[in-house]
Amino acid sequence: MKSTRMLLACAAALLLALASVFFGPRLINPLALDAESRQILLLLRLPRSAVAFLMGGALGASGFILQGVFRNPLADPYILGLSGGASLAAALGILLVGSLPLPLPLLAFAGALGACALVAALGRGPEGLRPDRLLLGGIGLGFFFSAVLLLLMTLASDGGLKRTILWMSGDLSSANWELIPGGLVLILCGLMLALARSQGLNVLSLGDDIAHGLGFNPGRERFFLFVAASLMTAAAVSLGGTVGFIGLLVPHAVRHLVGADARRALPVSFFGGGALLCLADSLGRTLAAPLEIPAGVIVALIGAPWFILVLRKKGYGL
Amino acid sequence: MACNMLDFTDIAFDFSDKPFIAGLSFAVAKGEVLGLIGPNGAGKSTILKLAAGLLKPRAGSIRLAGRPIAAYNGRERARRVAYLPQQLDARLPFRVAELVEMGGYPHLGKAPRETFEALRLAGLETKADAPLGQLSGGELRRAYLAMTLRQGADCLLLDEPLAGLDLKYQAELLQLLRGIAARTGTTVVMSLHDMGAALWLDRLLALKEGELIGAGKPRELLSEGLIRKLFDLDEEAAWIFRPGAGLPERKSATP
Repeated sequence: MKSTRMLLACAAALLLALASVFFGPRLINPLALDAESRQILLLLRLPRSAVAFLMGGALGASGFILQGVFRNPLADPYILGLSGGASLAAALGILLVGSLPLPLPLLAFAGALGACALVAALGRGPEGLRPDRLLLGGIGLGFFFSAVLLLLMTLASDGGLKRTILWMSGDLSSANWELIPGGLVLILCGLMLALARSQGLNVLSLGDDIAHGLGFNPGRERFFLFVAASLMTAAAVSLGGTVGFIGLLVPHAVRHLVGADARRALPVSFFGGGALLCLADSLGRTLAAPLEIPAGVIVALIGAPWFILVLRKKGYGL
Repeated sequence: MACNMLDFTDIAFDFSDKPFIAGLSFAVAKGEVLGLIGPNGAGKSTILKLAAGLLKPRAGSIRLAGRPIAAYNGRERARRVAYLPQQLDARLPFRVAELVEMGGYPHLGKAPRETFEALRLAGLETKADAPLGQLSGGELRRAYLAMTLRQGADCLLLDEPLAGLDLKYQAELLQLLRGIAARTGTTVVMSLHDMGAALWLDRLLALKEGELIGAGKPRELLSEGLIRKLFDLDEEAAWIFRPGAGLPERKSATP
């Protein structure tokens, strides 16, 4: 029953994402494609939607992972400073090194993993990981990363500054096919790793003692899942910059739909996150056409009220 | 020769470099239902965590079914011994059946006890689809217990499993555990505070400040003298152990 619901949810998300391709400053009728429409679809809309889908999916899935690992319903890659860590590491690469010794996605991955480890260290008290400490640690770290990033941008040359600003805005207008292979590899690795550890993700939600009692090594499971979330956050950042709230919004909605078992909820979080960003992006380029509202802005406009609702709704679980 | 399910030999354990348990030895036979009694901080939970492999002793050996517990890998250990802590989280997004299903994870193939059977044993078959957050305290404890039963381990380590249960469920749970022990030879080690419930177990270990101060069959062990020593009760306060004697008048005046 729930597996059918999972398949239906994934299929619906995929259809939504596909449909979003036809919306924009120029509406395209898929049943009457002329040469120009075909060009627009192939060169602009399809790569842009593919990037948005991968990016949103990666954020949705890593949000689900982080909420389970940190046992906190407010955890997401943006709030916990992972996106900030990935952005900072990648910006350091662009601004300070000039010619990069490492590809951007790898730098972003190192930044996200470093931020993840720092947040986990900050959130650990004598009695283990504490949700309130984690959240505060992540928020503090996020502010610090933003401040360093702004400082770097203030000191940067014009070329590097432009690239960094474009990156930070979560704007998908410069998306193209070339961006996809690197991000796709990181996302597939992260998603496969997380799916392979989905039982571990389920039992980590129950707390370390019970996870251990069920035969799992909580430290090892947490490490693999951190790596998976960092890979996907890094991919999202290297594809289109920092977009908040997808990682927060999507897992909550998905749990209502298919339950909290990671084996079902993780794939649906990926597809749901992808569909949401595709939808936000197509709204952004359609609503005020020919002006473009960045997808990140649209997501935040939906996400902020949701965030407040989650905070206010007492007794709401993961 | 049939070996014991658990063997603690000369166990020493420190809390933050302060000696807490020293030279503790005891054994639990297969199929035995053993209770750990003693005041808060006596070491009951620590012993259960040591037996579950969650804590490591500074010295001594802990053997599970004749084999050092450290020699088991996670999955093997989980098939032998199941552990349920005292603090259970209700703020989880799972439904009852999803939680119980996790008890089957240590088994690669089919788990010995199916989810529905574990739910039925715990009296929760009608709550399979209920979110954990909507259960009463007693139902939540039974849901976690059902997960532990689903694990189908040879030895159950339960930290205060009767806490939060009303009298009916306490009686049913004790009956259930004794039934499982009798039918399948499962060993049960549990900590508890209720001396009335303790009477129904096979054997008790009385602990105080990390030290074993008595062991034996409940009706032989539970004397007023032992209870007073165990819980530091003066003669006046020991009335609580004399059911039917009535509430005594306080001798000492309170300001």
